[in-house]
Amino acid sequence: MFEELSNFKLRIPGKGRNLTGGERREARYGLSFISLWIVGFLAFTLIPVIATLIFTFVDLKITDGILNPLKFVGLQNYETLFKDSQVWNSLGVTLKFGLFALPVAILFPLLLALLMNSKSLKASTLFRSLFYLPVIIPFVAAVFLWGGMLNPENGWINQALAAMGVAQASLPRWVNDTTWVYPSYVIMGIWGVGNAMLILMSGLQGVPTELYDAAKVDGAGWWATFTNITLPMISPVIFYNLTLTIVELFQYFLVPLVVNHGTGEPGGATLFFNLVLYKTFFTYQSMSYGATMAWLLFVVILIVTIVLFATARYWVYYASESNR
Amino acid sequence: MKKNLYLLIAVFMVASMLLAACGGGTQAPAPTATEAPAAGDTPGVEPTETAEPTPTYLPPATPEAGKIQVRWFVGLGTGTDPGQQLDQKKIADDFNASQDKIQLILEVVPYNSATDTLSTEIASGNGPDIVGPVGWSGSNAFYGQWLDLKDLIAKNNYDTTDFDPALVNMYQTEEGTVGLPFATYPGAVFYQKKMFDEAGLAYPPAKYGEKYKMPDGSEVDWNWDTLTKIAKMLTVDKNNKDATQDGFDKTQIVQYGFDPQYMAPFHLADYISGAAKVYTGDKKGEYKAALPDGWKAAFKWWYDGMWGPQPFIPDGAKEQSADYASGNPFDGGKVAMAVTQSWYTCCIAEAGSSWELGVLPADANGKVNGRVDADTFRVWKGTKHPDETFQVLAYLLGPSAQALTKTYGAMPARKSLLEAWFNDEKTQYPFVKNWDIFTVDLVYVDVPSGEGYMPNWTEAWNRTVTFQTLMQNNATMDFDAEYNKMIDDLTVIFNK
Repeated sequence: MFEELSNFKLRIPGKGRNLTGGERREARYGLSFISLWIVGFLAFTLIPVIATLIFTFVDLKITDGILNPLKFVGLQNYETLFKDSQVWNSLGVTLKFGLFALPVAILFPLLLALLMNSKSLKASTLFRSLFYLPVIIPFVAAVFLWGGMLNPENGWINQALAAMGVAQASLPRWVNDTTWVYPSYVIMGIWGVGNAMLILMSGLQGVPTELYDAAKVDGAGWWATFTNITLPMISPVIFYNLTLTIVELFQYFLVPLVVNHGTGEPGGATLFFNLVLYKTFFTYQSMSYGATMAWLLFVVILIVTIVLFATARYWVYYASESNR
Repeated sequence: MKKNLYLLIAVFMVASMLLAACGGGTQAPAPTATEAPAAGDTPGVEPTETAEPTPTYLPPATPEAGKIQVRWFVGLGTGTDPGQQLDQKKIADDFNASQDKIQLILEVVPYNSATDTLSTEIASGNGPDIVGPVGWSGSNAFYGQWLDLKDLIAKNNYDTTDFDPALVNMYQTEEGTVGLPFATYPGAVFYQKKMFDEAGLAYPPAKYGEKYKMPDGSEVDWNWDTLTKIAKMLTVDKNNKDATQDGFDKTQIVQYGFDPQYMAPFHLADYISGAAKVYTGDKKGEYKAALPDGWKAAFKWWYDGMWGPQPFIPDGAKEQSADYASGNPFDGGKVAMAVTQSWYTCCIAEAGSSWELGVLPADANGKVNGRVDADTFRVWKGTKHPDETFQVLAYLLGPSAQALTKTYGAMPARKSLLEAWFNDEKTQYPFVKNWDIFTVDLVYVDVPSGEGYMPNWTEAWNRTVTFQTLMQNNATMDFDAEYNKMIDDLTVIFNK
């Protein structure tokens, strides 16, 4: 093995020949230019990632201090994790919310994009800007704003409902009610769909017009054109949005932290996985158990993403691949 | 047609978003069931700083050469309001002016980040010398980090005779003597006299041992059973029928008989069933949640009080509504009785001028189970200057105690300072007569505290609060199943 290492020489991948002196010098320059980035990557990404993996095998509290020797506990944190119904409940909460939020997060921006892309819409640039505007508002500020609007007592939504004759006792209690809390969060999320809308619009504008012309000649109606041309052609963009949204849903955190103070209220309905993870690290001060939960989240997201990519071949259409 | 439809939808959406931007203001949602004002340091009693203007935090003083610096960390409980900061700074300045060996440095940290900040400071070996005011909950988050004061008390011949022995005893824990009494908050029954008058009911007793006179003239013990009966009689629907009468409409209640004001489940269990250790085992892996049966019965009593056939306690939605002062129902003037701590006088300005104090009800065996919240200052066990820190501690608990308890709105633990506190309260609420109850109640200290230590305290406590909000918001909850689930979860949490 050592012999192999000593014989190791830089090679150009796939070409099977040694680097020339100039190429080697160029590589050295390149490496020196990115060395700062490498140091940053090691210090702030790779080493912390490895550290969290090590933490999962020790018993470490924040207050233990950095100079104390680590106490190795083997797989104990993983054993606890599998017995910890709170962790699995929080994963359940996340999935349950995902069932509400995912369809809306995908379909609503798609509808908006179709609307914005319509030739019949006047002043589409203005509308586009207006719909994108919320994205540039800091998310925490937007969440506070929505929290105020959905306030059961003095938010304007309930005031409007009351003005329309809804009885005081029947007004939704929004984020304070187990029935309404997820719809409330979804409503808050809708406000920030401008980014997804923009990405889908770029997809829609990339659909070759001759396909539409051909469909028109064939007598296809709006729905047939949409399902047979538009949807397949923008399916890679939808797939991209879907993947990002699923990952974001697993990491859902800020809204329950700000709106429901991170308490899990009402009745534990807002104890999302990432919130429990955050609390484990910083409120309960358990670095090792928090790290174990973080790795569980990583594995779950990885599995879901792999499954998603595996299914992509059945419904995502890549024109470049079909031409091969 | 299609064009108009598109336009209509677009206009509707834009209008919605513009309204969204204009409406509701930036006010956070109504505080949740477990939130109470910052007085004291009750778990779940977290100051809602997000709804208030951000206070300015005083920068710590610059260390002076030639002096030993003692750092005083404020933020785990009360003490972070701008006015309180200035009062505390004056106390630190006065101390510094009084001698030339020690410099007391005040460090005020926002409540919401205080736990994280202290954790980080301790982790880096740079913890503050003295921490407080802090109650049981704030202290339990740092269990194992507090200095046993026993030797320093003996070395300095510290005089504890001005404190009630029960309060001194309260701080004897497995960690040693982790504090000395500073501020106390005993409990009592707060009640609205006019509601009792309207219902033709006698007031709760003003002295322990007195009987309660029922409407039929019979005299019964003042216990939780009696309180439940009269709470139902004080719960009234919009047709003016009380909960014990035929035709009572429990969906149209306009006045409730009782509220466990700002209480968490363990608080109520303490009152109804008595203090208890909530776990067995003495090391990780062997801990087991072991709540007494009486505690389960207390939780069930609360649940049935909200959702039973004759409800007399407001549920979560009612409690949080504006009609019930958004989480402070007794202050909303629609609740006849509440059991809570003396710090509640901070938050009762809207309750009118007919409220009064009554003694705590006894349990089924005739025993009164009180509960005393307490704030003190704790010394970090990693302090490099224990003697100097103890000097500061003695200063805060002694010469500064009156000024500090006043700024914190706390009842002083020193007997010699009680009269001044009561005089202040009497000036603020001249119609209240039974203030002595708070003094008497200091005998009924819960040992171990209802907020006493359990492994992984903060997480375990949060789990019980989740159970509480579930009880308060779910009329069809399977009580036994959810209770058992909580017990199982607690066992897992204790062993994390």
